[in-house]
Parts: sequence; C-alpha cells; structure tokens
Amino acid sequence: MPGGARTFLLLAPALVVIGVLFLGGLGVAVLRSVGYMPLIGLTDPSLDAYAALLSNRDFYRSLALSLHISITSTLIASVIAVGAALLLRRGFAGRGIVSFLFQLNLTVPHLVGAIGILYLFSQSGSFARLGYQVGLIDQPGQFPALVYDPFAVGIILQYVWKEVPFIGLVVLAQMQGIGADYEAAARSLGARPWQAFRHVLLPLILPGLLASSAIVFAFTFGAYEIPALLGQSHPQALPVLAYRLFTDVDLAARPQAMAASILIAAISGVMVWAYVALTRRRVGG
Amino acid sequence: MAKSIRLAAALGLMLTGPVAGDTADGDALIGQDWDTIIEMARGGEVNWFLWGGSDTINQYVSEYLGGILEDEYGITLNRVGLSDTVEAVNIVLGEAEAGVTEDGSVDLIWINGENFRTMVQADLAWCGYPGTLPNNDLIDWDNPSIATDFGVPVDGCEMPWNRAQFAIAYDSARTEMPPRTIAELIDWVDANPGQFTYPAPPDFNGSVFVRHVFYHAAGGVDALLGPFDQALYDEVAPRAWEILNAMEPHLWREGQTYPTSITQLDQLFANSEVAFSFNYDPSQFGLAVESGLWPETVRSYGFADGTIGNTNYTLIPFNSPNKAAALVLQNLLISAEAQLEKARPEVWGTVPAIDLGAVPDEIRAEFDALPSHPSVVAPEVLAEAALPELQAEWIAAIEQGWIENVGR
Repeated sequence: MPGGARTFLLLAPALVVIGVLFLGGLGVAVLRSVGYMPLIGLTDPSLDAYAALLSNRDFYRSLALSLHISITSTLIASVIAVGAALLLRRGFAGRGIVSFLFQLNLTVPHLVGAIGILYLFSQSGSFARLGYQVGLIDQPGQFPALVYDPFAVGIILQYVWKEVPFIGLVVLAQMQGIGADYEAAARSLGARPWQAFRHVLLPLILPGLLASSAIVFAFTFGAYEIPALLGQSHPQALPVLAYRLFTDVDLAARPQAMAASILIAAISGVMVWAYVALTRRRVGG
Repeated sequence: MAKSIRLAAALGLMLTGPVAGDTADGDALIGQDWDTIIEMARGGEVNWFLWGGSDTINQYVSEYLGGILEDEYGITLNRVGLSDTVEAVNIVLGEAEAGVTEDGSVDLIWINGENFRTMVQADLAWCGYPGTLPNNDLIDWDNPSIATDFGVPVDGCEMPWNRAQFAIAYDSARTEMPPRTIAELIDWVDANPGQFTYPAPPDFNGSVFVRHVFYHAAGGVDALLGPFDQALYDEVAPRAWEILNAMEPHLWREGQTYPTSITQLDQLFANSEVAFSFNYDPSQFGLAVESGLWPETVRSYGFADGTIGNTNYTLIPFNSPNKAAALVLQNLLISAEAQLEKARPEVWGTVPAIDLGAVPDEIRAEFDALPSHPSVVAPEVLAEAALPELQAEWIAAIEQGWIENVGR
C-alpha cells in the first residue's frame, strides 16, 4: 500500500469525527443561523438573526462579560502556573507529594469544582459561616458577594483553580526538556535572575505556554456550565445567552441562538489568533 | 437545500445504525385491542424525558413505575432527566428537521403550557389515541382545566398526569406573619430588605410568580383570559414592571441579580438567606422537609387573592419508535393505583389528575385516608382561591417583557 494512502487511512477515524461531527454540526448551525428551518416555515435564508443579535444591547454586555471572564482567568492562571512550574522544577524534600497535590484537581470535573466554590464562597457558604462564628458578620447579606456577582469572581476563581495545573504541567514539562544550561550560561555572562528568566527562559517556554493558555482562553470563552452555575441572572455570559435563546419557547428565536454560537466560535478564533500573534511579537519567539 | 438535509439524515442513520422502529406506526395502534398493544410492547423499551430535579420524583418513576413495567410487561423504562422540558422539545424538533420520522429518540415527554403549544405548532405530537387506553375512563375530559392546557385545546394529543397549584413556603420559626396577599407581600418586601427574591423568568416558577404580580397589576385575571391582546398588554405591563422595579432594591442582593432556577431559590431558603420559597407543586415542600433540607417548622399557604393552578401532561412525539410501550406507560400513569401511590406524601404527594369519583371504592377510601404533610398546604384549601393560567402567547409576552424591563 502506498505510504500516502496508508497515512490517510490511519487518519480517517479522526478525520471522520472532525469532518462529520464537528464541521457537520457547524454547517447545520450556520444553516439554522441564517434562518433555514423548513419545519417551522422558515425557507428564505437571511441574515436577520445576526442583525437582531448585533443590534441588541444585551449581546454586547454578554460579550464584555465573557471576554472579562476568559482574559482575566487566562492571565491569572498563566502567571500562577509559570510561577508554580519555576518552583516545582527545583529539587526539594517532598517535591513528589507537592507535584501530586498540584496535579490532583486535573481529575476533578468542572461542575464538581463549581459546587465546591459555591459551598466555600457563597453568602451562606463555609467562609461566611466562619465569619459569622467569629463575629465578623451578623447575616448572610453582609458577606461580600463572591458568587452570582457582577465581577464574576466566583467563575474566575473556579477557572484559575482548575487551569493552573493544566498550564503548569505543560510549562513544567517544557522547562525540564530545556534544562538549566541556557540560564546558567546567561547568568555566567552577567544576567540577573529576572533577565535570565525574561530573555532566555520565557522565550524558550513560550510555545508551550502559548498553546496551553490559548486552549484555556478558548475553553473559558465558550464554556457554558460554570457561568450558568455561578453567574448572575443578567448579564449572562455569551454561551449562557446562546442557550437561553436556544431554549426560548418561541421557535423563531432558534436562528438567533445559532447565530450567537457561530459568533462565539468566530470571536474566539479571532481572539486566539490575535493573542498568539501579539504575544509572539512582544516576547519574541 | 433539501438534498443536503436528506444527506445529513442519511449520515445520521449511518452513524447510529438502524434501530428497529417496531411500533412507530401510530395509526395501526389507535383503536387496537388493548391486550394486543401490550403484546406488541412486551420486551421493548420506552424512553421517557422528564424534569429530573427532584430525587423523590425520580425514585417514583424509576423504581415504582419502572418496576411495574419490568415485572408485568417486560418493558425497560429509561428515565432521561432534564433541567428544562424544552430540551426534549428541541430533540424532537431537530429530528423532524433531519427527516427522522419513525426512529426518534423520545417516546414520552412530561409537558404542558408553552412546550405543548410548540409541539402542536410544529405538528410534532402524536394525537387521537386516548380512547385506546382503558384508564381513559378515569379522566374527566369535560373539565375545562383538563381539556385545555394553558388555553390550548388538548384534542387527544396528551394525557393528564398531575394537577398543581402554586403555593408559598416559609419557616414558621423565623417568619411569624407571612404576607397573605400580593399587595401585602409587596409591603413586606419593603419592610424586610434582602429577604425575598424570585427566580428570573423564563424559569417556570419565577415566571408564574411574575404572573401573580401581573394579575395584581391588571386588577384581576378576568380581563386577561382569552387570546393575547397587545393593547391590553401594553396597558397592564408598565404597571407590573413598575411594581417589580420598585421592589428590586429591596430584594436579595438589592435585585442586582436573581436566582436562575427554583433549585437555587430553594437553597437560598434552606440557608436562611431569604425568607420564602414557592413552588407550582407544593408537595415539593414536604419532600424538602422529609429529606432534611428544610426545617420541620416550614409551613405553606396560598394567597387570599388566589394562586395559579394548572394540569400537567405526558405526550408521545410523532416519531416515537416505541408507541405501544409509551401507551402502556401512559395507561399505568393514570391508573388509580399509580395515582394513589404518587399522592402519598412520602412518595411525592401530588394532586391526582384522575376523577376520584370514577375510581373503585376501596382505592377511593385509601385516597380519602391519605395523611397530609404538615408543611404542605392541603389542595382543598388552595383550591378555594384558584386562578387560571393564561394562554401561552400571554406567558411568552410577559416573560420577554420581564427580561427586557426588569431583569436587565
């Protein structure tokens, strides 16, 4: 069997999954977003759904909220993850245990993490109860609003908690592959620790950091469940808004739901591209 | 375009593989001898999509109903829990669009109101079969609150399962004098800031709470009955939004956010963050107390100016492949025995949808002897001041109006 055909055959299962399930789903979503739903009498494709969405103030508030959630979470998680990786690559007593604990929450599902955040940080959660016990607050309402709050603190906490080990492990693996020789060389030539990190190590770990944080960004931008569980009733994160439109009793709102989903995919694609381009230029690949 | 949809449907079939659609042909079942239908259903399965937010209801469905289906008919009941019934509607709608006309994944949906209207509007319901069910004799189709579902005629497209009427729950150990009317509630919220909230519509229970305020703003429900009237809506709605917006700064979290589900409101109530919860199905209060989530001092009541009631149903989609098994399940659901079991406070405690005048005497006696749960207001008491539901167009308009004028 010629090599090309064999490669193609071996790739076929993956291509079928991507082609049929992902691109197929995307295609149907595009069809529906332009209002092609023969079953309920919509047979003239149009861009009405996009126009309605883009002229809706709620859409922009949701967009701003989603951008805030994913940019802030990605930024905080990346900084903490790189810091943690720098510490973990050194040898120290108990490193095995610390590394294990660091990776532990990779196995915890997002939903379970969200319930944990709710138990700890809600106004009747563990910290509020502790505050009540030591006399800091008299009733639940006095505890600061950290979930269902306008700044999405609970959502960001959940994402940071969950994504730090993910980025951290990728970056750590890369640091270990690089070894300490390059930094040692920079230091022997007079670079200070920060300079060695900024101009030698950071550009070297950049590919891993970029890839993992771009995944985190795209995921947090498009994910539904955490903002649905820990978010405010209004404004809603974009995916939550899209789902609300999708479950609207009025069937005519379905095209708008699909348009919102297509826009989420498009915006997150553009953002990831811009993020990679920008960081490459600033840090120097 | 039609070609691409046929292609998508063909691809879908290739991926899932053909599944035997034994009893997808509904016409062959209507009027068929009941024993024959049971034989057609035997050994098969039935996929029931229903709201899954209550462990006790789930247990009744999976263990009691599922047990009878398994033991007596050899039918496997697959309970598919939903957080919102519209999810099941979307599945059937998507299948219909993809041309799946007899191999659908949904055999039965617990449904009413707007979702029923959607199913009828898109011609997705299988109709005309109720006379085939032996237990159809227990249903009083002359009762308008059963023969119409939120103003939409049922017309043999669904079978009643439960009746429900909205009630309010409070903790008698914390709140001595709960407000007895919507007007009193509005004053109570002013006097007790931060202690009240309601789930944001389109949540089912939040939506019905907003309708109570809407009725209050309209000066009674009578004018609102009948088809949607834009002029009347434009007259009443601003008054309702004014009341709710005036309430907002005194709500939980100063009204900056609302719970997004009744489950969230129940948790706030359980944690003493708010003083009231409410539910379209008051038996839920008893279940929450029995499961230890709420204190035993919880009591419930209806407003003196009335609370809204409805009937809920089960519906078989047009493309259900297991219609015979779905019929057997529906017949079981409205049997006197299953309705009695469901009426027991420790099981579910919901109000039967069958006509108690038509059930056998010994079962009637058991219904009469049912103990009531101290936390659940008696259905007879609630029924003294019952308000009808509005037609689905009204409800959709009020929900949308709330989102635009109050929720943002």
